[in-house]
Amino acid sequence: MIDTAQGTDLDLQVNRRGFLKGCTMVAAALGISEAMIPKLVEAATSAQRPPVIWLHFQECTGCTESLLRASHPDIGRLILEIISLDYHETVMAAAGHQAEKSLHDTMEKYAGKFLCVVEGAIPTKDKGIYCKIAGRTAVDILAEVAPKAAAIIAIGSCASYGGIQAAAPNPTDAKGVMDLVSGTPVINIPGCPPNPISLLGTILHYLTFNRLPITDNLGRPLFAYGRKIHDHCERRAHFDEGRFAEQFGDFGHRNGYCLYKVGCKGPGTFSNCPSARFNDVDVWPVSVGHGCVGCTEPNFWDTMTPFYERLPNVQFPGTAGITDVDSAGKKILSVAAAAIGIHAAIGIGKKLVKGCVCKDDKKGGTNS
Amino acid sequence: MIYEKHYVWSILLRLYHWSLVSSIVALAITGFYINSPWSQTTLEGTGLYPMLTMRNIHGLAGYLFTAAILTRLFLLLFGNRQERILDLLPVTSRNINNLSTTLCSYAYLHDCHDEERLGHNIVAGMIYVVTIIVALFQVASGFYLRLPESIFWQKWGVMLFGTQQHARFEHHLLMWYFIIFAFIHIYLVIWNDLKNPDGITSSIFTGNKFRPRSIK
Repeated sequence: MIDTAQGTDLDLQVNRRGFLKGCTMVAAALGISEAMIPKLVEAATSAQRPPVIWLHFQECTGCTESLLRASHPDIGRLILEIISLDYHETVMAAAGHQAEKSLHDTMEKYAGKFLCVVEGAIPTKDKGIYCKIAGRTAVDILAEVAPKAAAIIAIGSCASYGGIQAAAPNPTDAKGVMDLVSGTPVINIPGCPPNPISLLGTILHYLTFNRLPITDNLGRPLFAYGRKIHDHCERRAHFDEGRFAEQFGDFGHRNGYCLYKVGCKGPGTFSNCPSARFNDVDVWPVSVGHGCVGCTEPNFWDTMTPFYERLPNVQFPGTAGITDVDSAGKKILSVAAAAIGIHAAIGIGKKLVKGCVCKDDKKGGTNS
Repeated sequence: MIYEKHYVWSILLRLYHWSLVSSIVALAITGFYINSPWSQTTLEGTGLYPMLTMRNIHGLAGYLFTAAILTRLFLLLFGNRQERILDLLPVTSRNINNLSTTLCSYAYLHDCHDEERLGHNIVAGMIYVVTIIVALFQVASGFYLRLPESIFWQKWGVMLFGTQQHARFEHHLLMWYFIIFAFIHIYLVIWNDLKNPDGITSSIFTGNKFRPRSIK
């Protein structure tokens, strides 16, 4: 097991103690009882390793990079002992026709039994020509693999919701897996990248219970995406007590105050980042002084930007100057005030010109 | 001229109105604070929780606002004649007539006043119906933001608003509707009170409006 904190070397020969520790950590992340740990261990050591096909589409391979840094268990144990990773463009030894054969064989041999992990969005515009592997479009590959898979895990925000590729104006009409696949259960592990423990937890949950974990309405497993980052944040006390960093590098920022006013999107983002943290060194963006950018939320690139402002900008048609809600509100209020002023002035002016016509009118009207 | 008193607004409607007023004031002030906290401190361990306090007041006022809106919905269906929805919208010939009278009057085209009418004029009535619909969206987005772990609110919130960030943005945007509404509302009440001797301002305190005895 990689032990970065103690500076020991990469060691793929994990001892049993380390392995059990890893399983226990996953059990804790999943929020299941310790009584279930033996079952988890059994499932993880079972000789029947589920074959996994890992498809890469429109992506940056960051999710795989993140997985390579996983340690509970590490990537070696994951590939060689827990699952049978039959097709993964980044880490597989095979290439070219051999690789395609491996994909084809796994699909035929384990139809309805293998797990499909999708990384990256799927471009659908112009018949999907913007992403091709071995001469076939991503849409075609997914359409062929998806119906034969037992379940699909969409890893990363791109595979889940389209991610950055789907950001406005979405030139390739990129979509997430759940928008294109029906009939096969799909679970989303969004994040840019997601914490590998969320993926491993989902896989181990599937191996142990033979079904995918419970999800929220956006298809994310509740064990990892059930709570807001803000509600588990170590800086939360500073938020409640009104201590904020006003800008990066100021007194508040140097003292670890809340990053709310420099645009932290923790209050709008569901993820286990504050509790699971990353890479065995117990860090995550907010702990090192950068606000959350909300990467686990759908369309985060459109709704969470600007990353250093509280609310998204809004471009009102025909008004290049108005970009935020409050300045728009104040301008509309000023227009309303001006309109009221003019309305009142006309009333007063009319009265001055006509004298007390209105009162006389009323008397005349009511007497009749 | 002899005026006689007419009981127009029930106690429930007046309670609704003042609950709405006080909750909107509290919600807007605390809402501005929550969006962009202006009070800054470097003190620790003082036991002062400005953000927590503001959020608690916001939540409390939010429940008052919700109760007020639910009360108004009840009165729209089961209130007295002036309070019911049929008296607020241009759906009867009497109301359509009032709509044109009111618009002419607001445009200073003539000074005609619908003396027969006790309740809201139709311009006000339509705006109030719109306001209640906007308020319902405000309540829904508020609960969605307040109860992020509730699967029920998440389902509706995602359907109506999108992500939490969407909802926060729309919640903030709709707040401006209420500020601008309140501004125009107060102006038009004063304007009407200056124009017509039916005691529109005091009616929301006492429930009574006045009109000349000759018209029955």
